Amino acid sequence: MTTVRATTLRLFERLRDETVDSHARFVVAPSSLEEAAGLLRVAASEGLSVRFRGGGTHGGIGNPVTADLVVTTTKLASIVDWQPDDLTVVVGAGMPVDDLEEVLAEHRQTPVLPETAPGATVGGVVAAGLSGYRRLRYGPTRDRVLRIEMATGYGEVITGGSLVVKSSTGYGVSRLAVGSLGSLGLIGTVALKLWSQPAMTATVPVTDAAAALATAYRPLAVLETTGGSFCYLSGTEEEVASQADELSAMGSPGLTWPDPIEQPVQLSVRVPPRDVPETVSLVRELDPARWIAEHGVGIVTVGFDHLDEDTFCDLRSWAESRSGSLVVLDGADLIGDGADPWGPPPTSITIQRRIEDAFDPSGVCNPGILPGGL
Amino acid sequence: MDLVAELVDLLGASRVHTHPIDRLIYAKDSGVTAGDPAVVVLPENTGEVAAVMRLASRAGVPVVPRGAGTGLAGGAVPAPGSLLIVLTRLNEIHEVDEIGRTAWVGPGIVNLDLSQALADRGLHFAPDPASQQSSTIGGNVATNAGGPHCLAEGTTVAHILGVEMVTVDGDVVVLGGEAPDAPGYDLRGLVVGSEGTLGVVTRVLVRLIQNPPDVVTMLLVFDDIHDAARTVSDVIAAGLVPAALEMMDRPMIESVENFAHVGFPTDADAILIAEVVGHPSGTVVEGALIERIAAQNGATEIRTAANDEERALLWKGRKNAFGSIAQSAPDYYLNDTVVPRTRFVEVLDEIYAIAARDGLRLMNVFHAGDGNFHPLVTFDASEPGMTERVVTASHDMVHAAVAAGGTLSGEHGIGLEKRDLMHLVFTPEDLDAQARIRDAFDPGGMLNPGKILPDGARLGGGE
Repeated sequence: MTTVRATTLRLFERLRDETVDSHARFVVAPSSLEEAAGLLRVAASEGLSVRFRGGGTHGGIGNPVTADLVVTTTKLASIVDWQPDDLTVVVGAGMPVDDLEEVLAEHRQTPVLPETAPGATVGGVVAAGLSGYRRLRYGPTRDRVLRIEMATGYGEVITGGSLVVKSSTGYGVSRLAVGSLGSLGLIGTVALKLWSQPAMTATVPVTDAAAALATAYRPLAVLETTGGSFCYLSGTEEEVASQADELSAMGSPGLTWPDPIEQPVQLSVRVPPRDVPETVSLVRELDPARWIAEHGVGIVTVGFDHLDEDTFCDLRSWAESRSGSLVVLDGADLIGDGADPWGPPPTSITIQRRIEDAFDPSGVCNPGILPGGL
Repeated sequence: MDLVAELVDLLGASRVHTHPIDRLIYAKDSGVTAGDPAVVVLPENTGEVAAVMRLASRAGVPVVPRGAGTGLAGGAVPAPGSLLIVLTRLNEIHEVDEIGRTAWVGPGIVNLDLSQALADRGLHFAPDPASQQSSTIGGNVATNAGGPHCLAEGTTVAHILGVEMVTVDGDVVVLGGEAPDAPGYDLRGLVVGSEGTLGVVTRVLVRLIQNPPDVVTMLLVFDDIHDAARTVSDVIAAGLVPAALEMMDRPMIESVENFAHVGFPTDADAILIAEVVGHPSGTVVEGALIERIAAQNGATEIRTAANDEERALLWKGRKNAFGSIAQSAPDYYLNDTVVPRTRFVEVLDEIYAIAARDGLRLMNVFHAGDGNFHPLVTFDASEPGMTERVVTASHDMVHAAVAAGGTLSGEHGIGLEKRDLMHLVFTPEDLDAQARIRDAFDPGGMLNPGKILPDGARLGGGE
């Protein structure tokens, strides 16, 4: 165990986050990004590895990280600036997605973040690069991230992007942060572009999801699940009614999303959207406890109570044969003797490694969490 | 053997140019600055681009990629002594996936040609910069280009799912792809908008949008530009994001009407072009809502295009805005800034005040729904000191936008034009972080040097 200087111990004690249960030696909650940057400078000089934590709901993603210090976003958890007439919001990374949705609903607005991730924070979702089912209509989360403020691994506070709805001003630092899983530093605030909630929505059961995707004009989502297939419509009342007619189906008002998958082993099969029907057939044969296929998007999320290594490898080979990937969202250690959560590193690994080195030169931030051990 | 001889060996003499006249043709984009490349090459496929990059890298010669040269910020202006790679010959549509609604295309394909080629499949590429009849998809990727229809659909970055790119070392990498959320950093998102400084894009995976079953296009006429601006704010605040919401002021209306004869009312102080798309039962309702908001704000006339021809005429007027300038002045300087939409009216007034202060002839066409200004100053560059006056005033307009919480560019990019204004919106630490990204792709600084980042952007020293 690394010895830590007395001043550092006092700092960690002062910032201790009492709300979080963790096996790490130190758990701290900075109240500002400047404080977080200071912590990262200390970690680098003391040789401590750091893990970031939002709601703790997606800790199963990526290679396992053993951290001496956990930095939480518990105290960076409020709305900083909401301009309903601009359709933008700036929010602290630690704010739970559900709470944000609830506040924005006052003006019938939505950040279009994942619909069913109880406890997940905005920062966590952005860092993990997760999108909601509505990405079929509104695009992935990354398309709505306008600006990010972060504390880098080298201990500086930086801003990437701008608080306007379109910008071509310099490099996309905020785009880099989305999906970086805390390997470059801590995301402190996120500025998001918002959408108005549609006047009317409907959940329409369909018999053939692929056919519904081909027929409907820009539905919110087309999901095929263990419990049936559904097309999610939005628009004016008349628009939704006539679209449901075109699908020759009776819908019910509102958006009823499938329950989140909660099995111990959770996989995300990512393939070109045209390969979703074939992926679904393949997944069905494996008889998992739950699965949700996003038609038109190319993601099939699968929940297993148990999964053997051979089946896992077959599924990964399938995804890779379609130039896709199979990512373990949770329970990689439960697959055989432990599975690689990512698969082979991308062809751009050299550049990826240089980026990681540039933002986290001491290798303190979530070391090794990304593919290729970045 | 010298670089030019090696390039001729590789591509043949007809695709390698060093003659001063040829170099002059490629000396600038559509902005105001000119450069001078040492040699201009026209490769036709990825393999050739990679081979060119390897030769340049070995020779230590900087490389500048270029599309159609319609950019306005100087991003494609060749650095002195550089090798200019013109990508217009990589203009194929390689593959279209109608189910996934994507296509792999060459960077040299012209934006409008792509959408026209896809029309019979009921799909289109959403970003539609005013230059879409001549600008290339590769150029759109480089600048993260916009256009009227980016209001509802987002700018180019939301429509690029992947790129094949040749690195500075001549390696070919694929970033992103048809399968969503590729593991690792989203380098695709960095390359879009990087103005040719991170690599040379040789194939682009574009996202395609279903053509709408119905389109309603309206011309809203106002006798006070503030009424038009308030209409824009009220429409957005009502939660309606139309497919497009464009604005022109009186001098621009006069210029366009005199040139394109599309029937714009020349006695109006401002017009808005509003478009809603979707299911016919929805466009009727949304169209009526916009009409109501416009009427409440004092619109003097509301015209709805009765058919595709009338619609095409309205858009012809909008897209010929810049082309129409030639009849009134030999030169123009077109600016591009963005502000939060709620600050639109106040910044608009400041922009007029700056032009009035300096005695400049200003006309405006805006992507109003996005808060994206395009103030355009017409002038005669042969008048001594005139260009400097125009540039100074334009910089003051940028300052006004930044003071209102805006940023330097919405869709044209930084290039050479706004490089030295980057400190207005970014701290030294922000710029250093951007430099770290650039250096991760191009440690030797050989790709499009001198663009985007100002001198001294690296805090650790070294350029």
